[in-house]
Amino acid sequence: MSYEMWAEKYRPKSLGEMVNQKEIVERLKSFVKAKNIPHCIFAGPPGTGKTTGALCLAHDFYGEGYREHLMELNASDERGINVVRETVKTFARTRSVGEIPFKIMILDEADNMTGDAQQALRRTMERFTETCRFILICNYSGKIIEPIQSRCAPFRFTYLSREDQYAYLRHVIQKENVKMLDEGLNAIFEVCGGDLRRAVNTLQAAASAGKPINADTVYSVVGRANPADVRNMIEVAMKGDFVGAREKLREMILKYGLAGSDIIRQIHIEIFRFNIPERWKIKLADTIGEIDFRLVQGADEEVQLSALLARLTEAGYEMKRGV
Amino acid sequence: MYAAWTVKHKPRTISEVVGNEEAFQKLVSWINSWNKGIPKKRAAFLYGPPGVGKTVAVEALAHDLKMELVEKNASDYRTAEAVKRFAGLASQYATLFGDKRMILLDELDGITGTADRGGVREVIETIKNARCPVVLIANNAYDPRFSTLRKYCLLVEFKKPTILQVMKHLKKVCAIEEIMADERALRLIAERSGRDVRSAVNDLQALAQGRRQLAYEDVAWLAERDRKEVIFNVLRTIFYARDCAEAKRAIDTADVDPDMLFQWVYENAPYQLTDARDLAKAMEALARADVYRGRIRATQDWALLRYVFDLMTAGVALSRQRTKPSGWVPFRFPERVRWLARSKQEREMQKLIGMKIRRRMHVSSVQAAKEILPYIRVIFEDNAEMAAGIAKWLDLDEDMIRYIAGNESQVKAIIKNLGS
Repeated sequence: MSYEMWAEKYRPKSLGEMVNQKEIVERLKSFVKAKNIPHCIFAGPPGTGKTTGALCLAHDFYGEGYREHLMELNASDERGINVVRETVKTFARTRSVGEIPFKIMILDEADNMTGDAQQALRRTMERFTETCRFILICNYSGKIIEPIQSRCAPFRFTYLSREDQYAYLRHVIQKENVKMLDEGLNAIFEVCGGDLRRAVNTLQAAASAGKPINADTVYSVVGRANPADVRNMIEVAMKGDFVGAREKLREMILKYGLAGSDIIRQIHIEIFRFNIPERWKIKLADTIGEIDFRLVQGADEEVQLSALLARLTEAGYEMKRGV
Repeated sequence: MYAAWTVKHKPRTISEVVGNEEAFQKLVSWINSWNKGIPKKRAAFLYGPPGVGKTVAVEALAHDLKMELVEKNASDYRTAEAVKRFAGLASQYATLFGDKRMILLDELDGITGTADRGGVREVIETIKNARCPVVLIANNAYDPRFSTLRKYCLLVEFKKPTILQVMKHLKKVCAIEEIMADERALRLIAERSGRDVRSAVNDLQALAQGRRQLAYEDVAWLAERDRKEVIFNVLRTIFYARDCAEAKRAIDTADVDPDMLFQWVYENAPYQLTDARDLAKAMEALARADVYRGRIRATQDWALLRYVFDLMTAGVALSRQRTKPSGWVPFRFPERVRWLARSKQEREMQKLIGMKIRRRMHVSSVQAAKEILPYIRVIFEDNAEMAAGIAKWLDLDEDMIRYIAGNESQVKAIIKNLGS
């Protein structure tokens, strides 16, 4: 077993190695062929290959020395739009003499930029289009202002299918010589959905105990890594204690930093496991879907999820009355 | 952005802290005695009513004496296991950077167990082995659960400050916020707070934020009610209005920042609308208001603000259909703001580690802390060899390893592996 983070070690280097997002990969390959890249927005949930896609694109586009033509910034770490502007200006000055006249800037977590910063970014994008192409990465494209959206080619990344995830994990398992039972592999998909980064992290953490991995090993790792208990929060809400449930929600979002998209996905999974009348499950799924959509559009996570919890409290009350 | 004044204007140094000089002297001489070796009592137990500045006192002390303060509050150590996690921290006086360390266990009232069982026993164990000053804080030191614990502690009582002292602090806040405040107005706020500085500052913020002047008339109505009833007519209007027009009028008469008002309504809706069906309607109205806020952000079309107002006032008001009248329900300060201020130190350490992860793994430090760190923690607890490899790969320092691995023997094992 190797002693670094496997999620990084096994990150695909080239578009050809990516195991999923087939349509997206095809479009990106066509950019490589055409030797031109438009500004892009890569939107989608965590662990679905957005950053990897951008890095692979740059790699295939410029070849082995691609690092020289690429800059990675993170909107939530870097000190605002000034850093972006200065970096792009420097790019412009050191314009490459080679075949391709522009460089690539990957701007991660772009949906965390304020409206003003985005307006400034838009001007920078326009001014330096000749020398720099932007790939904006975000969870929710709805949080990007419309003028930027209209200047970018949109790509929507989706969660990996079960088959794709298995194929990838099996590759890692073989390389790292991990003993894995089928039930363990199933459990990883069950808890991580199609979030590949989380799946690989879970795999590595489970493997670190040095025993063959079964379903229990996986559940134990997940329990230790995610102290927030979504199922319990739903129970509290349905029992009628909305305030208690909202407190748990706050803990998840503010203390443990869980993403709203993760929480809502887990709520969706859990609802179908609850012992409640079947027709209620589908009613609630509709509500969950609506809230999920609002989050994608960029609404406030706590406020939206609270509305969902209030609906669960109401549902619990109505079920008790036999409605 | 809306920041709580209790956080923004928290005293940073001893000279800024309100009252309790006696308690301070006791505390300072105890801490100084550590320079001459480990004293008989390795812990100080600060107790007293809420809002008299216990936590602030310790933070200011650490600041003035240039000590590293490791702060933990109830949510971090409710159980024995959780206490064990950081007990190792207390076994060292000097940090890697040569600063002296002080451990603060805040909100001890929230801990479980008794002297022979659970979290309290672990705290006693931690104190017995402590090599740096440990400070405990609770409202009531004479809780029977703490009877054994008390024997190991220097007891320091914090008393309520005087009205004049509270006023002095309010004046300072007003000066910084550039508010001209009438002396009588501040006196009334101080009196009504029951000499609780924190709640006095909260009330001041609620009454004065965004204003240039605060006259006695602005706060006079406080005098007519119990301080728990310090609420804004606005909230009352919203939650009890009978029709749209009445509810919407709240906005015109409000004179408060709409974002702040939203937080107040959002916080209080579940307490005001106790019927589950009413509450679901109200929360949905607020969520819809929030959707419009999002649209304003995306399009910068501020004309949409009217729909935000409609939903957060009339939308909430008309949700009241079935809730049974239950007499007066006090309004509450938005908790969400307070949440953000908590566990600050924890987040700072996570950020530092997040930066290290970020250098290697193409994620932001925030993302790293929430999505990757939890798994690294599991590895650190289970496999010292792999942990050492990862620590080297990420270039983590000893404090970081200690924070992640939690228990001291595992830290040693990891560091040993680092050497080989």
